[in-house]
Amino acid sequence: MKGSVYHGGRALIGSEEGRVLSETDCGKLADGLAGFAQGGGKTIPEIVSWWQGELRWGRNRVTLASDRRDVRIKVKRQVLGTDGVATTNETDDASLEGVVRAAERIAAMGFNPAQDAGAFGAPPPVALEAPRTVVWSDATYNLTPKARAEIAQALVRPAEAKGLLSAGYIEVRAGARLQIINGQRFYVPYTHAQCSMTVRDPQGTGSGWAGDTNYDWAKIDTTALTEQALQKAVASRNPVALEPGRYTVILEPQAVADLLEILVRRMLRPPVVPGWAAEDGGGPFAKAKDSALDIWRTKLGSQVVDNRLTLSADLADPNLGILPEPGMKPVVTWIDRGVLTGLDYWRSYAVAQLGLDSALRSPALSYRLSGNGPETSIPEMIATTKRGVLVSRFWEVRELALKSLLASGMTRDGLWLIEDGKITKPVKNFRFTESPLFALNQLEQFGKPERVFRPVRSPDVPGLTPAVVPALKVRDFSFTSMADAV
Amino acid sequence: MSTTQFTRRDLLKAGSTAVALALLPRPLLADFGGPTPVPVPPIEDPDVKKLALRAIEAARSAGASYADVRLTHTYDRQVNGNSLLLTETQYQNLLPLVDEETMHVGVRALVNGYWGFAASPIWSPDEMARLAQEAVNQAQVNGLGLVRAVELPPIPKVVDGHWSTPVKRDPFQVSPLEMLDYMHSIGRYGELRLDRHIEPYNFVARAWFEYRCVMQDKAFASTEGSYLTQRFYRSHGSLQVEGSKGYKNLSHDDLHVHPAEFITTVGEGWESVGYDQATMREKIRQFYEEVLIPELLLPKQSVEVGRYDAVIEANGVAKLVSQTLGRATELDRALGYEANAGGTSYINDPLAMVGNYQMGAETLTVTADRSSPGGCATVQWDDEGVKPEDYTLIQNGVLTDFHTTRESASWLKDHYTKHQRPVRSHGCAAAATGREAPLTHVPNLSMAPGKESLDFKAMVGMLKSGIAIKDINPTMDFQCLNGWVPNPQVYRVRDGKCVARIEGAALLFRAPELWKGIRALGGPDSVRRFGFSSAKGEPAQETYHTVAAPPALFQQLTLIDVRRK
Repeated sequence: MKGSVYHGGRALIGSEEGRVLSETDCGKLADGLAGFAQGGGKTIPEIVSWWQGELRWGRNRVTLASDRRDVRIKVKRQVLGTDGVATTNETDDASLEGVVRAAERIAAMGFNPAQDAGAFGAPPPVALEAPRTVVWSDATYNLTPKARAEIAQALVRPAEAKGLLSAGYIEVRAGARLQIINGQRFYVPYTHAQCSMTVRDPQGTGSGWAGDTNYDWAKIDTTALTEQALQKAVASRNPVALEPGRYTVILEPQAVADLLEILVRRMLRPPVVPGWAAEDGGGPFAKAKDSALDIWRTKLGSQVVDNRLTLSADLADPNLGILPEPGMKPVVTWIDRGVLTGLDYWRSYAVAQLGLDSALRSPALSYRLSGNGPETSIPEMIATTKRGVLVSRFWEVRELALKSLLASGMTRDGLWLIEDGKITKPVKNFRFTESPLFALNQLEQFGKPERVFRPVRSPDVPGLTPAVVPALKVRDFSFTSMADAV
Repeated sequence: MSTTQFTRRDLLKAGSTAVALALLPRPLLADFGGPTPVPVPPIEDPDVKKLALRAIEAARSAGASYADVRLTHTYDRQVNGNSLLLTETQYQNLLPLVDEETMHVGVRALVNGYWGFAASPIWSPDEMARLAQEAVNQAQVNGLGLVRAVELPPIPKVVDGHWSTPVKRDPFQVSPLEMLDYMHSIGRYGELRLDRHIEPYNFVARAWFEYRCVMQDKAFASTEGSYLTQRFYRSHGSLQVEGSKGYKNLSHDDLHVHPAEFITTVGEGWESVGYDQATMREKIRQFYEEVLIPELLLPKQSVEVGRYDAVIEANGVAKLVSQTLGRATELDRALGYEANAGGTSYINDPLAMVGNYQMGAETLTVTADRSSPGGCATVQWDDEGVKPEDYTLIQNGVLTDFHTTRESASWLKDHYTKHQRPVRSHGCAAAATGREAPLTHVPNLSMAPGKESLDFKAMVGMLKSGIAIKDINPTMDFQCLNGWVPNPQVYRVRDGKCVARIEGAALLFRAPELWKGIRALGGPDSVRRFGFSSAKGEPAQETYHTVAAPPALFQQLTLIDVRRK
């Protein structure tokens, strides 16, 4: 057997210090894969290793506490101009050889034209550097099962004392990814933590929610979360029906993020589908066809939202915590004071379809929305509202039209009527039909940007998707029907 | 040294079995305590049992009052029949074949009423002991002085049971080349037929054919002495035609998508999609002629907002059963254990509502099982070693039961005792692999058909004025209560005939009113079955179930303009 990583790899995953494979171990696995390659060509591995400590509770008692770990070894073999990809989660020599052979057999079928791997799908023209941002937190990695249990109990106790029912989840994750792009090795370790809870009254007439995600557990204020969920549960009880229609809304930061999700997915990482890019006339940022040149003009340089708003990402932003990837732009601004200044594509698509070449890519799905000018707190927004609705969060926001980004979804976990500068009563949930672009154009006031709940749900997908957004007060937001679920 | 550089012709010539073997990766290794790791044997091998028992013993001696272990070995293959139909620069990341092989083991332990769980990819005696200890540790720290009562109603012990999903053609013994060849030819045929029929309408189309097969070996052992092994197969086939009218390229703002309903997700092998060419072509021809062409010939009509009697085709009814009845009757969900994940249920006081809550019209009867041949949720034993039983969920419109596991069955003790029924799990504990701890999942569901031999067409014929709905994708709220269906395939019906295609509509409904408004059900011959996934839990996990349902006529559904603000 060739340089065996069998004992190294296996023993390590099961050990305390081996919860996440080290750079050396990932390197050994990558070497192992390369060593088993036959028939020339390239061997392009990606190794993802993760550990998670989890705790879940329902009806005020812990229902499951768990410790899980796994590794994904994905290898692309590029032989005679074709690609083959196979994946396994076993680290011994025979399994590594097996997965390399599987990839070679698929390559030998000759169906996949070769593409250089890596995050780009096409070879970058310059040597890449992985931005050196630290997204590792010992507080996350070292949050023990006992500590998790104690935190959970502290979160549940106030709800139980008030005769309410709490359900929630704490998760701490540590992971590492090794990528090899153009022969260069990039190893990034990271942590990810989330805490969220739902508090309901036993009759099911009120519900409150709170949640936070960050790479650093120490930054998550669990006491504040439980207070918020409890307060919302109590204050949202016995809601009254309100007529659907256009309302001034105060969207709490979580609601803003829920609404913006479809917009940022279009803007930061448009799918690699022909005809969807602005330059092909697709999506919300295509402007008009220039028939003389037979090309589409985009809205780059045009005002697309209220001129006080800026949408950007900065790897150095301590409130974000973005997982650095090789070739990632350190700073990117998509919308600068209302004006569209950046669009992002997979590099392979940009080169092949659009004739654009940029070596660097924007941080995937991580962003900050901020206002330029004086910030208004939520109580001030309420005090200055004659008649409006306060929204806690949205649920199942679905896009209905690609060009306008018209979408529909529901409110949940707390909705209140504001009359003459005061919250007067909880109201039943609404379904809305509205576009995030419309909302961002009907801006009245904005608050201080805050971190929102935006977890990467599957540990198999390495990454972090932090977002920082302000609360927004928006005119004429369209609620189209009542949905009386609590 | 010669490599595996087969040409496609070589492989086809070699015959399917040889090729399939050549294309499977070598088996993964496991450490059974011998001097070196060995290739994973068939799941019934006594070595696997030894490994499982090691975990059980370790959990017991660490202090678990109950523990179980699941070892899974999963093969997952995706075959993409579209890959050859697209040009190189499109869909760069679409590979025709993706192979994945993984092994997992998960140990669950109960200590003082608290559950702990630990999972990893390693099969070895040491790892079994470590995971058992970790699971017990996880369970132990959570009590913190608070009592939590867990009762596990007794189940019959099964020793060395083995079961396998019956398949006619094991998809991992069929050459992927044969699969691709077949799928490409069908996709091609689909495009050609469409072109010929609709060229005059300037309709651009593409046929999508995808297939994914999953094979999983699973061993289960518990501290109660059960040991059993199973092999499951699941086939995810999908064939759909996408098209848009009046454009040179497919436009996503005016895109028609038509899934061919004769291909769905099932607990079967390659036979679920791999018909012979002639049969498949005939099915596609029928699909075009009965579904697509008539639709294209109908005039377009915008939405007249209002309430209409509506006939919904079997696939739509099955989706509604899955999302409004299937999920709402997960007992853990109804009690609020899922409140922070997928949500709760409109059956918000389950223990008081079971046995008397009117879920729908008297004609609504739904049974649940994990035994239907070809069902996605069909097993011999669930993930707690329980042999599932068939049960009636809704009898003549009244809620009679819930989906349960061993722990949750005991929550219904009073109800079962009152009705002289044994307190017993229905066997709904499931998880995708050994990596996830089992939760209550929706089993296969069957909605009883009507007595008269009606089908979709006949029911449309009964409507003087109303709508007919071919396909829907409902979105439910967090209590499975309010439904919203954007852009259904919906037709205006007058005097028993579809007279126009309604565009840009959405349906709104509330689940109880929907089911109470059943006016007629299709007969036994009109029942179709469909496979669906359902996700729940934190961390999220996904399983599959099958729903069999007839088309149905509902009264007074609300139709709105989907884009009206």
